[in-house]
Amino acid sequence: MKKLTLFSFVFFLLFLMNPEKNMAAENLQAIIDSMKEGAVLKLENKTYEGNIVINKSMTIIGSDKTVIKGDGSGNVISIKSPNVKLSRLTVTGSSMDRNSSEEYAGIKVYTNNNTIEHINIRHSFHGIYLSQAHDNKIRYNHIQGMGKGEIAAQGNGLHVYYANNNLLEKNTIEGTRDGMFFDYANNNHSYGNNISNTRYGLHYMYSDENTFKKNIFTMNTGGAAIMNSNHLKLEDNQFIVNYGNQSFGLLLLQANDNYIAGNTFYMNQRGLYIDQATRNTIMGNRIIQNQIGIELWASSNEQIFTLNRISENTIPVVTLGGQGARNSWSKNGKGNDWGPAFPLTDLNQDGIGDFPVSYHSSLHQLIEDQELTNLFLKSPAIKIFEKINATLKSDEVMFKDTHPLAAAKSSHKTFLFAALGLVIGLILLKGRHQLCITFGRNGRKT
Amino acid sequence: MHYIWKEWKENIRGKGLWLSLSIIVLISVSILFRSSALSFDKGFYVLLINLFDTIIYFIPILCLFIGAFSIFQEKEQKTLIMLLTKKDNYASFLARKSLGLYTVVLVPLITWFFLYLLLLKFNLQLDIKGYSIFVLAIVCLSLVFLQMGAAIGSFSRSRMQIIGYTIFVWFYFFFLHDFILLSFLPDVTHENVKLFSAGYFLNPLQAVRMFLETGMGVYSFGHMSRLLQAFMWTKPASFLLGNLVFWLAVSFGTAIVFSRKEGYE
Repeated sequence: MKKLTLFSFVFFLLFLMNPEKNMAAENLQAIIDSMKEGAVLKLENKTYEGNIVINKSMTIIGSDKTVIKGDGSGNVISIKSPNVKLSRLTVTGSSMDRNSSEEYAGIKVYTNNNTIEHINIRHSFHGIYLSQAHDNKIRYNHIQGMGKGEIAAQGNGLHVYYANNNLLEKNTIEGTRDGMFFDYANNNHSYGNNISNTRYGLHYMYSDENTFKKNIFTMNTGGAAIMNSNHLKLEDNQFIVNYGNQSFGLLLLQANDNYIAGNTFYMNQRGLYIDQATRNTIMGNRIIQNQIGIELWASSNEQIFTLNRISENTIPVVTLGGQGARNSWSKNGKGNDWGPAFPLTDLNQDGIGDFPVSYHSSLHQLIEDQELTNLFLKSPAIKIFEKINATLKSDEVMFKDTHPLAAAKSSHKTFLFAALGLVIGLILLKGRHQLCITFGRNGRKT
Repeated sequence: MHYIWKEWKENIRGKGLWLSLSIIVLISVSILFRSSALSFDKGFYVLLINLFDTIIYFIPILCLFIGAFSIFQEKEQKTLIMLLTKKDNYASFLARKSLGLYTVVLVPLITWFFLYLLLLKFNLQLDIKGYSIFVLAIVCLSLVFLQMGAAIGSFSRSRMQIIGYTIFVWFYFFFLHDFILLSFLPDVTHENVKLFSAGYFLNPLQAVRMFLETGMGVYSFGHMSRLLQAFMWTKPASFLLGNLVFWLAVSFGTAIVFSRKEGYE
């Protein structure tokens, strides 16, 4: 009987201790190691200690409050086997060491065909790092950095290094050094990512033939910096309020043969900043309410600007360092819509202005010589400065569009005028007496 | 307290305050309608910057007029003489009058922007800190120009003079001040940039704008050059505070030194 009681006591004790849970919490690596190839591991709503290395194809699925916390000494999760799927986790605590031979990340991927989705990453040097990893899917992740103040002490949201054919989709990245950094990475596709409060939202170095669609960049020091990269497609992206002293929506530096279409550049310090870049096609973009619409350095040649709407910018185009050769402001007889500041006549109603449009400015020299000029771009004094210099003939032609587009008619305004006309008509027809009483005869009804 | 009450009574009977307020209400509502298309994130900041850029054309001149005519009315109606024959001297009269003016203008303005916040709540994701900075920026702008207006009202002898001075002050800060600085710009070096910076931030419009845009985190001063670092030798909030103190003191001083007790039509 005593033996039975003792056995029951030990049994219940073990039962209450819930050994599976504690083992999982203490040693996630052991569980991963003990699982078979292709297994599915479901994690609970609690914090697991990292760091972990995944050496076999498997799926790890967490819950809303599942956290994998690194010990701050390396990568929190290293994926070293192909076909791994991670989902619904919070990953935190990679090493922030900048003196080590390796750059660490919340999740570092060394292999191909992995899927990483619905992951929150905090307190990590890089968020997700693809190192020579191809054909991966990185989507619906949220990466939070330390904010704009910390540039050098932190890494990038998504770091893509020698990695090709990856899909980066609908990720949200805030406050990291660069939002997405591509280094020698080709043929990657980025769709619908939302990047804010970083240094460069997108940073391309030596990466060719990547596609970038429907991404949104807000309040970064620079929206997207494309450097030494060719044959990229940037379509339907939004570059909004990238607004600091050195800021830009999109920088093309030594970038050639890129196709930039349907993007919105709104309220940036510079919408497009093009330097030492050739043969880029800039088509059908909306470049609106920037301090400088397009800043074009003379070292840039053979750009084609067509079908863009470039309006309400303080300076629509500024050409610096002399006139660039063979930059074309229209293609196949279609130029750009320069907004109400450049009134056009279109007598034959073909949508193309009857005369060329050109823009003269004297500010180019000042902008080139003195960076503090940028601080005055919002001042109304700029207009007077330009007018006075125009009379002194010290300005130069910034662009000449031989086939400017007639401005798109706003249906909103037409409706407003129609409504106003109707009200005036009604007053004149029905309310003349009341009108006379109010404004004439000092309000007397006699 | 008497002055505040008196100022309030005078202003609610007049048209100036209501006209100014209705212009501000109209502008802010129309910008709200225009920004209903801002479906993207951070639309709140875009709206505030656009609103500020528009409202900045109106607040200075309206405040100048309200301030100037309020003082001038005291002269016109001979109430100034009556008030000064008591124990009051002009400085204490001006201080109380200014306090009354601030209260009467700022209370409806802040109330409106509080209501406006409720309207914004339905359209955009709010940032209360950013909005407080926006309201503070508007308040600072109003204070400076109200006090300048009070000074204009103190030394003007006729309504015509008031209109002339007011338009000149508005024109100066909108165009001339920056234009003068622009013409000095090519000669700015690292040695004299602090002086240039002081000149730049002496313009209340620039000081307020810089405070607002950096305060909301929209304007970033990352990767500054040596020149720019020297230019921004203190925080934007300190520049604004300096500007506020400077112009309030100068306006107050000018009003006392050059005040004329009589006015005529």
